[in-house]
Amino acid sequence: MTPLPDSVPPPALGGFPPEVLEAYQRYRTKADLGAAEEVVIAAAIDYRPASASLTRGVSEESRLLEDLGYDSVAVAELIFFIEDVFETTISNEDILAVRTVGDLRACVVRKLSAKAGAA
Amino acid sequence: MNPVVTGAGFVTPIGNDRASVERSLREGLHGIERVEFLGNPDLPVKVAGTVKGFQVESPRWRDWSWPAGYEIPKDVVRGLAPHGVYAVCAIEQALSHAGLRPSDLAGDPHTGLYCASAGSAMLMHYNLAQMRAVRGVRGNPLGVVSSISGTLNFNLAALYKITGTVCGFVSACASSSHALGYAVDDLRLGRLNRAIIVGAEEANADSLLPFAHMRALSIQADPRMASRPFDVGRDGFVGAGGAVALVIETPSAAARRGATPLAEVAGWGQAADGHRVAASHPEGAGLRLAMERALADAKVGPSDIDYISAHATSTPVGDSAEALAIAQVFAARGLRPPIGATKGLTGHTLSLSGVMQAAFCVLSFSGRFMPGNPHLGVAAPECEGLELPRGTVGGAPGRILSNSSGFGGSNVCHVFVAPDRIAD
Repeated sequence: MTPLPDSVPPPALGGFPPEVLEAYQRYRTKADLGAAEEVVIAAAIDYRPASASLTRGVSEESRLLEDLGYDSVAVAELIFFIEDVFETTISNEDILAVRTVGDLRACVVRKLSAKAGAA
Repeated sequence: MNPVVTGAGFVTPIGNDRASVERSLREGLHGIERVEFLGNPDLPVKVAGTVKGFQVESPRWRDWSWPAGYEIPKDVVRGLAPHGVYAVCAIEQALSHAGLRPSDLAGDPHTGLYCASAGSAMLMHYNLAQMRAVRGVRGNPLGVVSSISGTLNFNLAALYKITGTVCGFVSACASSSHALGYAVDDLRLGRLNRAIIVGAEEANADSLLPFAHMRALSIQADPRMASRPFDVGRDGFVGAGGAVALVIETPSAAARRGATPLAEVAGWGQAADGHRVAASHPEGAGLRLAMERALADAKVGPSDIDYISAHATSTPVGDSAEALAIAQVFAARGLRPPIGATKGLTGHTLSLSGVMQAAFCVLSFSGRFMPGNPHLGVAAPECEGLELPRGTVGGAPGRILSNSSGFGGSNVCHVFVAPDRIAD
């Protein structure tokens, strides 16, 4: 994909609430990793299969499969979304190590930190 | 025992519910609009049979919306193509019409799903372009199931938890007629007691413009002139989209739950042209045989048919072949049942065409009318001996023959019987 100017949210973020778009802008303009984490958590909630019932609120400890109802394809969709929006690559090995929302958040932060370091 | 139709649902260029579709058919109101594909005003194709009330032009599902009253969960929408959204809405209508709830289908091993669509060329293009832009590193995980030609069966089987037969048909513009025919056979053979048949297509540049490059689309800019089946001046078809769903059941299954039969599917037949990849046999040889086989399967003769729902798409070659085939089966015996080509109003909905005509036949029975050919000016010479009424014909048909033909010379015909004439 052609890199987007920092002021334009990527099309994949269309339909997300303004605060998520605003967090994404903070990440893009100020390299704010905390803001990137907000986007990741919003995506983890958004891609959750609708048929799964939530017994508790989403937290760092929420397990994608057991607590949030994700199946393997929905995990792949969530990862693709994150890769697309943050222009990064998450390997199968990385994905296999992710069990919870907190694991995912930490994984993305590691990728983005490495990317920022490389740049 | 032959299956009966117990429900029908519509998302079509001429209406998105039974009442509006019936009104359009009865009053000859077309659903063809001016369009500008790919932002290019210089393209020769100026019109299409558009679907109204849905915003699904974007390749991104987050941009889509559809009419109020249909709840489609987000995780379901993500796997759908635009025409899959149409299909869900048509099925919801058909189930409601049949007095069924989605929970009646879920996990029932005696309910089957028979689908027809060409897939979503738009989504396939978008997804593959996205993949190629990153040199294959990543792509939409749902790119395959949302775009290839089985997209309807994959998604709808999962949504409705279908555990009987689930299958899809790819015989181009005869696809949904095949879907209905094979569903009928499975019910007759006792394999199932209920089937959902759905066809759906998108009316966008990626689905339709390739037909312009075959020189198959009309280049008339006037929506009333572009789709003129059987007219001497016809110059191609008008591409169209939408979705139609039918519920068919064995008579005993329908009776057990007190469902009202809307029509009987009394028989069907198919035969191929053995001729060209994309042009009909010049005398409609395959279509003639398909009509004869459908009549034989229904145990009726040509004189028992009160109305013919023609496939006629407004192409010079296809309409001529159909006219000659009908003439051989009917006019040659001195029979002149009225013929209606509803694509004059809808445009040609491709793989959806056959089941859409089937559902229109159901409306003809319940509304006691037979659609005419309102855009027909001067009938082509090969239509000599055929009854082609311009306006709607009043009165209830007892039996209707419905035709369809697709690329490769596939021809599929069905015979439908009005509910008050079943087992006559």
